[in-house]
Amino acid sequence: MSEQSKSKMGPPIIGVSKNMERVRELIEHVAHTGLNTVVFGESGVGKEVVAQNLYQKSPRLGKPFIKINCAALPEGLLESELFGYERGAFTGAEQKKKGKFQLAHSGVLLLDEIGDMSLPLQAKLLHVLQSGGEFSPLGSEKEVRADTWVIAATNHDLKKDIEEGRFREDLYYRLNIIKIYIAPLRDRPEDIPPLIDFYIKEYTSMLNNRHIAKPDDTVIDRLCAYSWPGNVRELQNVLKRMLVLGDCTQIVDELFESEQFVAREDGGAEELNHHASLARILDLGGENSPEKQSFSLKTAKKKAVEMVEREIISHVLQKTEWNRSKASKILKISYKTLLYKISDLGIVPPEKGN
Amino acid sequence: MKKPFKLLIIDDSEEILTALTNFFTQKNYEVTSAANGLDGLKYIEAKDASFDLVITDLVLPNISGVAIISIVKKKFPDTPVIAITGWGEHPESLAKEAHADYVLEKPFKLPELEALAKKLLK
Repeated sequence: MSEQSKSKMGPPIIGVSKNMERVRELIEHVAHTGLNTVVFGESGVGKEVVAQNLYQKSPRLGKPFIKINCAALPEGLLESELFGYERGAFTGAEQKKKGKFQLAHSGVLLLDEIGDMSLPLQAKLLHVLQSGGEFSPLGSEKEVRADTWVIAATNHDLKKDIEEGRFREDLYYRLNIIKIYIAPLRDRPEDIPPLIDFYIKEYTSMLNNRHIAKPDDTVIDRLCAYSWPGNVRELQNVLKRMLVLGDCTQIVDELFESEQFVAREDGGAEELNHHASLARILDLGGENSPEKQSFSLKTAKKKAVEMVEREIISHVLQKTEWNRSKASKILKISYKTLLYKISDLGIVPPEKGN
Repeated sequence: MKKPFKLLIIDDSEEILTALTNFFTQKNYEVTSAANGLDGLKYIEAKDASFDLVITDLVLPNISGVAIISIVKKKFPDTPVIAITGWGEHPESLAKEAHADYVLEKPFKLPELEALAKKLLK
């Protein structure tokens, strides 16, 4: 086995819940098939771990395991990363570069955050999957064929994305031949003690088996009662902190304090205020509400920008006592632009004597 | 008496699964039924399994009907598979690519399905 593959060996699927049993069972039954798979679950539940386990139990073990995050790169860059390019395909393409699809040939390509892929790129991906792995790198006339097992992961509800026009239905069905769902940690607290055991052992050996304070039963009980919005990843971080800092009780206290703080904030005035302005941007109940067909992020974004602009310009005008020439210099926009913005955003001078 | 044909029926709609199971049982088929792809696959992979025909819905939780067809056709190329699908659902073309012998659109009449089954079991 190559070093690259070895480094990809993930932890086993840990847990005693029905959901984890089902996930393990699915992996056992489908790993040999190489059929397109989508792993669903909130951030931090371990979608990549499931993909690694599929790979390890498959005949593709030892072949490349390539991962790419579809949310981290802008559309054009993601396309060239996925499919590669020829020298001179675009400005800056000085060397020919192989795409991840090709690098993952005979192995696995993990498309992380597939729900964030742009629609044009979804169309291209669909085409590649339909043709059995054929595509041409950017700037190339030649078709390349890659035998790649595509595993996608997402925290989106893709069905909802389809309804809202953000995800292609045909791509959904093509990818979703096997569907593996990982439940959030708060829905399977029985998995928390085995996860703690596993990671304490792992981190202890990482810390050269130094004698370290381990969480006692009371701490573990409290950890099981916590809501874990960041799922297993958050649990890992908390355990690391406990092992390094030693003061388990205090760390758990802080965890619950932050949870209560969030809960309080939800009902608090500040949060309400925040919600109020968000409601205005979202135009809740109005024409551009997300519940409406006509909603678009673009419109919402425009509204948000306008709101901020209006506040800043009003503030500066107030400070300069409506000296528009001074204000335009402070804002670093032309006098003309300022006048336009004042009328466009409907900013009115305070009434004299006020 | 001749040995009854062994049928595996997979559908996540309880009503359809019960209706199909009752219908084919009355017609003297030996029916095994599964409500999701994983359970269906377990029956297919069981040691003593030797189904004469598989009837599967296409959209299923966890392991889809398309996956079932691909796996059956790889493992038992001679076992015929009938895919049933909701009206206007996309995976129809996927089922054909996976070499389903027939794709039957819902709603269909039970005798229609039986006629197809008989044809494939000859």
